[in-house]
Amino acid sequence: MKSLALENLVKTYFDPYRGLQFTAIRDVSLTVEEGDFVAVVGPSGCGKSTILNMIAGFVPITSGRILVDGREVREPGPDRGVVFQSHALFPWKTVADNVTFGPKMRGVAKAERAKIADEYLALAGLSHAAERYPAELSGGMQQRVGVVRALANEPDVLLMDEPFASVDAQTRMTLQEELTRIWEERRPTVVFITHDVSEAVFLANRVVVLSKGKVLEEVDIPLDRPRSWDRLVEDETFKALSNQVLQLVRSA
Amino acid sequence: MSAILTIWGAYARWTQRWPALAAFVPFVPLIALWWFIAWLQIFPPVFLPGPVEVVQTGWELTWKGILPDYLADSLARLTVGAAAGMAIAIPLGVFVGLNRKAHEFSWPILLFFQAIGDIAWLPILLVWFGFGLTTMTFVIVYTVLFPVVLNTVLGIRSVKPELRRAAQSLGASPTRILFEVTLPGALPNIITGLRNGLGYGWRALIAAEIIVGTSGIGFLMFDARRAGSVEEIVVGMIVLGVLWYIVDSWFLAPIERATGQRWGLVTS
Repeated sequence: MKSLALENLVKTYFDPYRGLQFTAIRDVSLTVEEGDFVAVVGPSGCGKSTILNMIAGFVPITSGRILVDGREVREPGPDRGVVFQSHALFPWKTVADNVTFGPKMRGVAKAERAKIADEYLALAGLSHAAERYPAELSGGMQQRVGVVRALANEPDVLLMDEPFASVDAQTRMTLQEELTRIWEERRPTVVFITHDVSEAVFLANRVVVLSKGKVLEEVDIPLDRPRSWDRLVEDETFKALSNQVLQLVRSA
Repeated sequence: MSAILTIWGAYARWTQRWPALAAFVPFVPLIALWWFIAWLQIFPPVFLPGPVEVVQTGWELTWKGILPDYLADSLARLTVGAAAGMAIAIPLGVFVGLNRKAHEFSWPILLFFQAIGDIAWLPILLVWFGFGLTTMTFVIVYTVLFPVVLNTVLGIRSVKPELRRAAQSLGASPTRILFEVTLPGALPNIITGLRNGLGYGWRALIAAEIIVGTSGIGFLMFDARRAGSVEEIVVGMIVLGVLWYIVDSWFLAPIERATGQRWGLVTS
């Protein structure tokens, strides 16, 4: 896993109906060190998904630079793994084949891919579902597969776009705890987009609050690890930090 | 009451063993009604023969070898025409589906020619190619082509953009994305197109055989009209229905189930 740097990122769209340039991202600079976990929060329309789509290379940037491990990137690539809100699993591939899709594209041999599938499915507690199709899984299981599919390709940076926004509250807490356990074990570099303040504070080392296309403030989260909801839900530091971030988001 | 339950239970067991039986049972009252009306002789038997006479005629035609020969001719024409139609339609559909400019340009043309039904082409085809195989093949290819092209385009365009993005971020090249994401994603629609196309093609073929034919089921029926044999006409009609039922429910529907439904892309 490698570092990620955004330098003076700007994104403007042309709105053909109003005939105007619309600025989604004004001037965003951000550094994510190797092995760091950064969450980006902000009200809807603040541009957080646009930033992720630019890092992933799905939408072109207007100006500025995106550097992964010092190399400038513009197109999508396997160095930046993406976890989607809509999970985006391939419906016609089994869970195991979804997880090993990246390695298959890299030309990894079949026997080796089977090992990768075993390893990562075990990591997500999904070994029993290897031969099932995504449509046969629950929403929470689909998201778990989405996360390990991105991890199994060993990207430099893991980009997560509100991955737990569409599962129920109980499952979401379990998924957050699982993600935090996986991160503590493997220390991938993560950029996590969310509108859920407590999710951001629970998961991240640092929370970036975004407002109207600009970074409003960065808040460090010095909570001990390993983190779990049982311990943090009544924790005074967690509450104080959540409150601080929430105030920032609401003022944004 | 218990007698009805016994019969019902037996029916459930037997149809589970032979699912084809369940497809035949709904026809029993229909055949009974047909037999009853024919037996009443409201219409002269020359106009409305009963089931027994039709089965006899069918047996004679089979025994003489006419029915198997004609059936083979019709099926061969359908197979050749459908294969040619698919070979053109699927690549064309993929191209139009992927290319926005090609889509804007060709969609109105596709809709225009789709509206000119298969049989509406026959007059001009007869002028151009005469009464022969070329005309019949053209009609089938034409009929199969449009449902397959239009459904393929629809399928390609309905593949979720996130799936392509996911594949890109996992390192897939454009060619790999086409074969691993776009085509599998479009497959349920392509199969639906084939199912429709073959259905339309089968009907178009019979119409073409009636007008053009020198053999085939359509020719058999029209020839029987000249000979005044209503039994043979009805035999032809029954063969058409039974054959399509077999093709659709034993071949096409299982493929559709094995792809789209298992993947959760279509519900039925």
